[in-house]
Amino acid sequence: MRSLAVLCPLAVLLALGASPAAAQPKEIVIGVIYPLSGPAALTGLENKAVNEIARDIANGDVDVPLPFFQTLKGMPGLKGAKVRMIFADHQGKPEVGQAEAERLVTQEKVHALYGSWHSSVTATVSQVAERYGVPHVNGQSSSPGLTKRGFKWFFRTSPHDEHFTQTMFDFFRDFQKKRGVALKTLGITYEDTLFGSDSGKVMRELAKKYGYEVAVDMQYRARATSLQAEVQRLKAANPDVWMPTSYHSDAILFVRHSKELDFNPKMIMAQNAGHLAPDFVNAVGKDAEGTMSRAPFNVDLIDKRPAAQAIAALYKQRHGKEFYDNPARSFTGMMTLLDAINRAGSTDPEAIRKALVATSIPGDQLVMTWDGIKFDETGQNVHVKGIIIQLQGLRWHTVYPFDVATKDVLYPIPAWKDRK
Amino acid sequence: MGFVYALVAAGLSLIFGLMELVNFAHGEFLMLAMYVAFFAWALAGLDPVVALPVCAAALGGLGWLAYHGLIRRVLGAPMLAQIFATFGLGVFLRNSAHFAFGVDFLTIQDPWLAGRVSVGGLFIGLPQVGAAVAAMGAFLGLYLFLSRSETGLALTATAQDRQAASLMGIDTQRMFALGWVIGGACVGVAGALLAMFFYIYPDVGGPFALLAYVTVALGGFGNVPATLLAGIVVGLVEALAGLLIPPAFKYSVVFGLYLAVVLWRPQGLFGRF
Amino acid sequence: MKRALAALLLLAVLAFPLVFTQPFPRHIMIMIFLYGALATAWNILAGYCGQISLGHAVYFGIGAYTSTMLVREAALTPWLGMVAGAALAVAVSQAIGYPVFRLRGHYFAIATIGFGEIVQTLVLNWDWVGGARGLFVPIVRPDSLLNLQFHESKAVYYYIALGLLALALGTTRWIERARRGYYFRAIKEDQDAAASLGVRVAREKHAAIAVSAALTALGGTFWAQYVLFIDPESVFPLALSILICLVAVLGGVGSLWGPLLGAAVLVPLSEGTRVMLGGTGKALDLVIYGALIMIIAVFQPAGLIGLVRRIGRRAAAAATGARRESAA
Repeated sequence: MRSLAVLCPLAVLLALGASPAAAQPKEIVIGVIYPLSGPAALTGLENKAVNEIARDIANGDVDVPLPFFQTLKGMPGLKGAKVRMIFADHQGKPEVGQAEAERLVTQEKVHALYGSWHSSVTATVSQVAERYGVPHVNGQSSSPGLTKRGFKWFFRTSPHDEHFTQTMFDFFRDFQKKRGVALKTLGITYEDTLFGSDSGKVMRELAKKYGYEVAVDMQYRARATSLQAEVQRLKAANPDVWMPTSYHSDAILFVRHSKELDFNPKMIMAQNAGHLAPDFVNAVGKDAEGTMSRAPFNVDLIDKRPAAQAIAALYKQRHGKEFYDNPARSFTGMMTLLDAINRAGSTDPEAIRKALVATSIPGDQLVMTWDGIKFDETGQNVHVKGIIIQLQGLRWHTVYPFDVATKDVLYPIPAWKDRK
Repeated sequence: MGFVYALVAAGLSLIFGLMELVNFAHGEFLMLAMYVAFFAWALAGLDPVVALPVCAAALGGLGWLAYHGLIRRVLGAPMLAQIFATFGLGVFLRNSAHFAFGVDFLTIQDPWLAGRVSVGGLFIGLPQVGAAVAAMGAFLGLYLFLSRSETGLALTATAQDRQAASLMGIDTQRMFALGWVIGGACVGVAGALLAMFFYIYPDVGGPFALLAYVTVALGGFGNVPATLLAGIVVGLVEALAGLLIPPAFKYSVVFGLYLAVVLWRPQGLFGRF
Repeated sequence: MKRALAALLLLAVLAFPLVFTQPFPRHIMIMIFLYGALATAWNILAGYCGQISLGHAVYFGIGAYTSTMLVREAALTPWLGMVAGAALAVAVSQAIGYPVFRLRGHYFAIATIGFGEIVQTLVLNWDWVGGARGLFVPIVRPDSLLNLQFHESKAVYYYIALGLLALALGTTRWIERARRGYYFRAIKEDQDAAASLGVRVAREKHAAIAVSAALTALGGTFWAQYVLFIDPESVFPLALSILICLVAVLGGVGSLWGPLLGAAVLVPLSEGTRVMLGGTGKALDLVIYGALIMIIAVFQPAGLIGLVRRIGRRAAAAATGARRESAA
């Protein structure tokens, strides 16, 4: 009878264990781990779609007429081996990410790992990568600590919160000079996970460094049923700039409550994530007019990047949504990985790692408006450039740096009573 | 917001009073109600206020289905099994919604009740006011039904003493099913109201369900009017706590209040059990 | 006959890592052992003593955080950290138990949820223990038993988890037989009657929760050393408390082997469905998961152990029937 207790799982295990895809020499297998269920599933699915585009470019099924992409077409470095991506769901949990990473590495014999959006999950996945000596490229997680652990196998193409927040403060400085207004007090709100907490920390530090007074410093419970009290506090403190760090759901709620409670910040500077998604714009776009955010990328800069035009069109065609920052970053990271594998000319992990270290992709070949991709010794891309974008008329426009801005900064944000 | 919590909790309280069973899928019922409201708006252009009866009916129907399909079979089972039957139902519904509707955050644009009112310098959102009014109305209706109508009285009788009621000729099975229908309808109304100002996606039910349980327990299991009172208290405490102490601790204060109350009165404020 | 079967089983379990050398199967077994141990610990309080706690993650988290903080701040070996964590968990359990034990049934359950929520929020906002950012367990190389960290292979983790499970089961078994166990069950059956017969109800409940909390905390430390990263969301959430409860209930509360059986079925089930269907992003695996929970709750409320016993009885009856026939 108790044998049931062991036979049951054994049967499942045999089924699972007996199906490892022995890496065929003519195949490049990449394990992609994202949240495909739970509250962040939206992002996971967007990233999946765009990674599939990347895969198709590498396999030659999609043609992008630009030099960088042409070198990758069909993966000539590996004599035309096909790229196969295995998608796994980490459900937003670090331990599941770890288990999936391990399974992908040991059972599915992936040659590289990619992911995972949530900084906390990226942390455990990269631990697995480091342990097994498998390259792990990350295109989106923004917690600075990830590249500060002395890992050899972890590479991040995207800027992290220190970069982003620095851009914000650079903007404050230049904006004040340009417009002659004074910004003295800040109100920072952030949600209570790794992302929010780290963001809040960096904001606090930079505020201190540059001499701003933090009027409100509030960590709030993510996915709350009501954020009215939080907004009331903000209103009472009336900071010159409100700096929220939120995922989608809370971002929407904040805007709604601001409208109800007549909270009129003159400037809103958000830490991306929730505010940039099309869902946010669809939900509260009109009311969020004037919200600014840091971003590595914006849609109106597509004209400056021919690669972006091509990919944006494809993405819209396949996934039915507008291309924006998150999928753009995911795409860039994946292309970097594919490029490295191509240059390595082999699926040997150490070769790929060396190729990654040697990565040097010029900015104009990217979808992003960065200077390029080049990793420093911690695995962080140092050619990142942040921009500040502002929501005007239901679209995000680049407003900083001023020399690439497509629109002027809307300031102050009109009060509720002054809006139609 | 307290009224909304109370309304969500009312259904829970009623069901528990009838058959001593806590519906752990209540949050998911709420979520589905919000989706119904959304589709009523998206496909038929019905404002949530108008769609209210539709939601109530739909969720009432779901309640009936849930009772006959699942609950009836676990009535005799130990408490834990009941908990897990409804818990499984919740997981099933939540992820079926994910499967069927996708994970986009949906919102209803430009509902009839928009904007805000100013009450002595304090701004209150109009949708919330509307929700409170409607919730109060629903409670009043529920109370009248339970205490004045014959079916309602039969329901109350069954809740108080199942065996005596059946001896008196009341069909307990029908009463239980009715309880689930009404419970579902309550949550349907709550969902329509919430949809006016809250975003909608498969996981939305969770936090509300948790607050509903605390609300019911605070008021006392089995006592529906007490649930209304408890709901108001919870809403007030949440709002005040957010203002007076760091908002991250809002819910801790709510739970703390619950603990304080039950320490003093282990049956909740007015509970029967 | 039964003895031989049991011995064979034990051998199989001990030899498992030697046969299955891939990390993933070992990981699944480790998870089975861990959840089995947690559920068994919970069972002591809930199944034997009848107090349904839905806030057990508190003790798990305390174990994880205590040992991790001691490793980080005092370079103390996790083994001692484990003990410290268990001690702290016991203390907290007594503090929680004192006000909460006078509640019954659902009120008690919600009170435990309340405490769980409060503790989680506290840790989330407490910077010294990492707050929302969580804590990384410092990685030490090479693998070391002293530091309870192994990177080359999961085998040692396997045996440690197995040991933890054995400890939980052994404790349960001991309680089952000891007089205390009878007190527990009396309280579960009818608290007032037990009190009238002279059972010191409050003291027994406190004892039950102390043991339960200590074992759960040990699990927490193990987890921290296994995943090497903890944050409030992963070790304190309500979802974890409910999962522990679910495992025990599915397997059969109030029985020795029930929780382990529950773990043995639930863990491969959730891992299996996720592996096979999770990648699609349609959450189909969780739909199936929910449906299965409902089915089991409806058709076998006593838990899977009830099913096993029934089959066992039928098999035994068939065997005796056959023997009688051949003897006749």
